Amino acid sequence: MKRLMTFKSILWTIVGLAMASGITRMLFGLGAITNQSDATPWGIWKGINVVPGIALAAGGFVVTAIIYVMRRHEFSRYSKFAVLLAFLGYISAATSLVVELGLPWLVWHPVIYWQPHSALFEVSWCVILYLTVLFLEFVPVPLDETHWFSGVRRFLIKYKLILVVLGVMISTLHQSSLGTMFLLTPEKLHALWYSSMLPIMFFVSAVAIGPLMVILAVLVVSSLYGRELEREKLGMLGLISMGVLVVYGLIRIIDIAATGKLLLVFDGSWQANIFLLELVLILVLPIIFLAVKKLRYSTAGLWIATISGVLGMVLNRANIAGIMLVQTGNLYIPTIYEIFISVGIISAAILGFLFCVERFKLWETKWEDSRQEPNAQPEFDRSSEVYLGAPRLAGRTIYSMIFVVSLAFGFAVISSDRLYSHGVDDVIAQEARGNGILYIDGNRDNFGVAFGHAEHIKRQQGADSCSVCHHMNLPQDKSSQCSACHRQMYTTTDVFRHDWHASPTGANIACNMCHTPGEEKQKSSAKKCVDCHLDLYPENAVNTFESYLTVSYVDAMHGQCVTCHAERALSDTTKVAQARCPACHTGSLPHYLKEDMRDKLRQPGLSNVIIPKSDVNLELKQGE
Amino acid sequence: MKAILTDVTLCIGCQECVAACKTKHNLEPDYPRNFHRTDGLSARNWTSILQKDEHYIRKQCRHCLEPACVSACPVAALVKTPEGAVTYDGSKCIGCRYCMIACPYGIPRYDWDRAIPYIQKCTLCYDLISVGQQPACTTACPTEATIFGERDELLAVAKQRIKDNPDKYINRVFGEHEVGGTSVLYLSDIDLGFMSYPMRDIKSSLPQTTSMAMSAVPPAFVGMGALMGGLYWFCKRKDKIRQQKNDKEGSE
Amino acid sequence: MQEFIDFCRGPLFRLTFLVMIFGLIRILILDIWGAVEAYRNAGDKNLAWKSAFIKTIQWLFPVKHVVARRPVYSLISILFHIGLIVVPIFLLAHVQLWKTSVGIAWWTLPYDWANYLTLLTIACSVALLLGRALSKTSRTLSRKQDYLWPILLLLPFATGYICANVTVSPSMYQLVMLTHMLSAEVIFIFLPFTKIAHCVVMPLSQFVMTLAWKFPARIDKKIAATLKKEGQSV
Repeated sequence: MKRLMTFKSILWTIVGLAMASGITRMLFGLGAITNQSDATPWGIWKGINVVPGIALAAGGFVVTAIIYVMRRHEFSRYSKFAVLLAFLGYISAATSLVVELGLPWLVWHPVIYWQPHSALFEVSWCVILYLTVLFLEFVPVPLDETHWFSGVRRFLIKYKLILVVLGVMISTLHQSSLGTMFLLTPEKLHALWYSSMLPIMFFVSAVAIGPLMVILAVLVVSSLYGRELEREKLGMLGLISMGVLVVYGLIRIIDIAATGKLLLVFDGSWQANIFLLELVLILVLPIIFLAVKKLRYSTAGLWIATISGVLGMVLNRANIAGIMLVQTGNLYIPTIYEIFISVGIISAAILGFLFCVERFKLWETKWEDSRQEPNAQPEFDRSSEVYLGAPRLAGRTIYSMIFVVSLAFGFAVISSDRLYSHGVDDVIAQEARGNGILYIDGNRDNFGVAFGHAEHIKRQQGADSCSVCHHMNLPQDKSSQCSACHRQMYTTTDVFRHDWHASPTGANIACNMCHTPGEEKQKSSAKKCVDCHLDLYPENAVNTFESYLTVSYVDAMHGQCVTCHAERALSDTTKVAQARCPACHTGSLPHYLKEDMRDKLRQPGLSNVIIPKSDVNLELKQGE
Repeated sequence: MKAILTDVTLCIGCQECVAACKTKHNLEPDYPRNFHRTDGLSARNWTSILQKDEHYIRKQCRHCLEPACVSACPVAALVKTPEGAVTYDGSKCIGCRYCMIACPYGIPRYDWDRAIPYIQKCTLCYDLISVGQQPACTTACPTEATIFGERDELLAVAKQRIKDNPDKYINRVFGEHEVGGTSVLYLSDIDLGFMSYPMRDIKSSLPQTTSMAMSAVPPAFVGMGALMGGLYWFCKRKDKIRQQKNDKEGSE
Repeated sequence: MQEFIDFCRGPLFRLTFLVMIFGLIRILILDIWGAVEAYRNAGDKNLAWKSAFIKTIQWLFPVKHVVARRPVYSLISILFHIGLIVVPIFLLAHVQLWKTSVGIAWWTLPYDWANYLTLLTIACSVALLLGRALSKTSRTLSRKQDYLWPILLLLPFATGYICANVTVSPSMYQLVMLTHMLSAEVIFIFLPFTKIAHCVVMPLSQFVMTLAWKFPARIDKKIAATLKKEGQSV
């Protein structure tokens, strides 16, 4: 029982972390905690939870069909297991969808807005219908515990066959239409995985691996709760699985050969290696371990065959729905929060599974809860220490405590920077290079603006004109560079640095040197910067600023240049062109960079530029 | 069917079309984000100017004749209108982002930083063209590098230009046949293959790839039901025969 | 030092504060759940609802206790509780922090009131501690926890008062500030798992006591098991 408790504690910890990440995602949007992007619109939730989750739930319809349609009643002991697995698999996939969709509260829209040409439309209908069928198939099990709705229960058990056949029909469509979805991406999905047979492959592989997943669940339960295995029956189930796997393998290999992709398989690229790994996991290992009679009926053999098959299945679906799908060159690495949510949903499903195993009669007889033994020690309620009888849900004190602490920890580790900056890249602005002609290129993407500094000085009537542009200096400095204060390329910078001024290792100024003693320590009660730093503004400065925050480097540059240029353009109709972007952003690179940049495809530096307020352009139009 | 023809050789990269688009659709200023692609398109930028050496190429939604995004959308939020524009209705959208996966040009962009996000893409200024006006971008273009008109007429114009200056242009109107044809056409002196994902078969439209599988859905559904029924009948009968045999053997 | 303060102010504060909030919600749910379960399992469902309710009200607004037994102790205790709750929540500096980080603000205590209340709370906690240590009866009833808690609760108030009123050198200020935050965070993290959880389960305690005085579920079997007479009729 100790092992079970450790296992459950770990699961609860993960669920807590996932819950924290999930709530943050709902409040702040997908960009706040995921690395999904315009280049990779689908992340690991699709690739690990939704698509493989539904594939692994296939055991529900395969095993029930074997029992009720093909009348192999020797397996009927596993029918409840299979249905429960499918039910939880679908619920976990639906939960992942809720996290993954941009507007999850509108998830029911396919019901009223029809678009029958879309594979995803079919998928959503199948999810809704099959969840209903699974619910009706499973609900007699919990109803067995109580005397409620016994008429409904009897009715559902009597017409089980109809539900089973409906389940098979819907699942056939659902499993295959998941494959259909990826038929639409011939130019994105890697050639080794793309095939016009995808719908059939998805269906056949689901039929093959579904029963293996049921066997794996039985193995896990028996090892956690110390139950004896019926290896004979499990082996038989595995044998059926193996038969379908052979068919699946033939389809895949013939498809690869027929479309002339055999050479691709052995070209040694990482994609090809993953393809081979996938084949070994999903085909070779399970077939070997299920074909050999001695291995098939041994516990170890079943463990290896099922784990390998399930892993192979997950890898296959993850490859198609993610890893091999978008090849834009942008690397997608999921954030730790995405992984929390992904693993957390799986953990919650396992916890739900264990709960059902403990509470309901899944295995003919019910599991005894060790903590509910008649002579067990009474469990005290921590806060009041009043004994109120043994709790119905064992271990709720410990598990809820683990959950609460890990939930709080989850919220604590989510970096608030990421939430509030909304993913703006942190780029330090570099100083402009050059002398007479300054090359302004703050983010060093070698695509800046050549600014005629000397020329501007000349045009602004000589050396006294610095104050036209230079509006603030660093202490004890003359004509500080722009990047000295506008230190961030795209975000604001704190130029005052309160902590540094107060710190004994910094300026070491006592609080009341700046803040008026006896008043609240606020900005309004503090001295102005110029009270101490007399040389802060250049003489005759045109602009003076009284803010502790500077605007970003880009905004500063544009604010300084575009304002002046636009004014000139408006006042002098012969100089309209100088207010346009290409007047400065000429696009030609400095001579010393030209050689190595020339032949590269240059994605536009201009996309990194905030287009100035468009009313400037409008006024220009009218001016013309 | 309306269309846009962009002549890469005439574009001077002034970004007037970008500014006009931002003004027309009230798009906020843009900052580089870690979820952007590097082609300048984003949720706040529906068109952008790509630069390759001294060539400027305007990127925008291609408004395919048979759009993959429209066939992908499960709720018909994306619609190909008779005028040629592919429009988006945010009130239907559920945020599945299947259109982003489906688009061969990688056009649709997402409000990653918003708690209530929508797909963002060029709508060919549908409100303007439906009342007979031009889109904002073609109106703004100072060099007539990008022009608006009927698709057939623009194709004729493009072919005439190639005919007049065979040395200047690549002998191909980009967008005439790709993925079944697009409403945004390009004339160019450089190959524009880098604008889309590498296509294997440029002639066929993408919705065709799924249409066969989708048309097989109703027969598959009924067929599977019939198969299950037949199987049940067969297994039951086999059991019955076995039972009778056993009974017989027992009685003998 | 500044990095340390930033850490305490950022992630560590979020962690401990949320542990407190979620932990309190948890203990409340668990208590209600346990009480409901016990009530459902009880054979005799007649409970003294009214008297439990009246007792709860009397504990929440302990006017009667002040007038009746131990007036001095009760008064000190009430003042201590008021200071403990009001000062941290309604202090201007704290509300300011909430406003800058989360964007919400509420009514604040005037500066002088806050100072007086803080001093009063410190005095009350010292008095309570002395009262516990000096009286022989309460000494025998007390655990280590009971001495530690008043000291721990006193710490952030004392340091907070120093930060707000006494002019010290910056390094000293940082040190005091750090103590202030760390002690508050220690309180947060232990609050929902110790007797201080009475701040939310208090209104329930009378009902729970009333329930517990009834025999809990299946107690007959337990008595039988204890007497080693299982299976025999009572």
